[in-house]
Amino acid sequence: MIASAAVSAGPHIFWITSRAAGTAALVLSSLAVGAGILIGARGGALKGFGGDTKALHEALSLATLAALAVHGVALLGDHYLHPSIFDISIPFTGAHRPFWTGIGIVAGWGFAALGLSYYSRGSIGQSRWRSLHRFTALFWILGIAHSLGAGTDAGQLWFLLLLAVPAAPALVLLIGRLRRGRSQPARPPGRPAYGKTASLVSSSRIEIATAGQASAASRISS
Amino acid sequence: MDQADRLEAKGLARAKIRAKRRRTHSIRRRTIRGSLALFAIVWAVIFLQLVSGNDPALSSIPQAHRRPAAAVKPEPAREPEPEAEAEAALEAERMPEEFVEEPEAESAPVEEVPTEIEPEAEPEPEPEPEPEPIVTSAS
Repeated sequence: MIASAAVSAGPHIFWITSRAAGTAALVLSSLAVGAGILIGARGGALKGFGGDTKALHEALSLATLAALAVHGVALLGDHYLHPSIFDISIPFTGAHRPFWTGIGIVAGWGFAALGLSYYSRGSIGQSRWRSLHRFTALFWILGIAHSLGAGTDAGQLWFLLLLAVPAAPALVLLIGRLRRGRSQPARPPGRPAYGKTASLVSSSRIEIATAGQASAASRISS
Repeated sequence: MDQADRLEAKGLARAKIRAKRRRTHSIRRRTIRGSLALFAIVWAVIFLQLVSGNDPALSSIPQAHRRPAAAVKPEPAREPEPEAEAEAALEAERMPEEFVEEPEAESAPVEEVPTEIEPEAEPEPEPEPEPEPIVTSAS
């Protein structure tokens, strides 16, 4: 029975593989975005995993890129859609739902470019790379939109649950991060995060000194 | 700081670096395993969905654009009506054997019985077996 089922599903192997890889990429990217935001927040909330959130973020991002590659390449073998290499690599040119597929291609390229730029951040510049890397969240949201717009399984309960479970916490973290970023004053470019503490200390010293001078002046005047 | 303290500090630093590397390797291994497991589970779910005939790719789009079904159970073939069946049997009796077609698969539609009946052809007499050659002593 299993053998006959396997034979009958044979022509759809590439189609199934592409869908599974796309779903896996979506889950992994949500986890990667969540871990990335936790690094930025310096929370260290994933200590149970070994304490190294950065390593987890990197591994999840690479796994996401691998799954995205499988998602695209597997479609080339599908006999029903039969897309060309241009259809899966150039946005908005394919015949199958061009808008939503195009969004997915843009998201995939964005993910790849911003993710792999980590390894050349020395030449890009640390602060410039960091500000660019924040746009990964935008491509992640585009990826979710692609899955809901063009995904075959978008109406399935299991898919929506699988999408929501890792994406919802990441989305909450992202919103929190954006809110916090708006409420805090902008950091001078290229200045490390720990400089903030030093500037706070120095400003408080100035305030103390000013207060001391004022009290001395009041004593002299009295 | 004397030499011994320096050596001790270096040893501690090396141990820390080694522990960090081990942790990183462990995280990578777990992530790869987890990713593969996730992929395999999702693959199996989609496969079972397809095999059981509940795949959304087969049901949500119009019939003309549908992906060819893999293991969708075919609808039971419509059985020929009893009247038509009886007529066909009668016709078969009337027609010689060489004109009677083999019944097709059940799913094939029942063909209409032709109204004009061809004149009955007389069955050809079976060829008589040739007489055995007479064997004589001379041959």
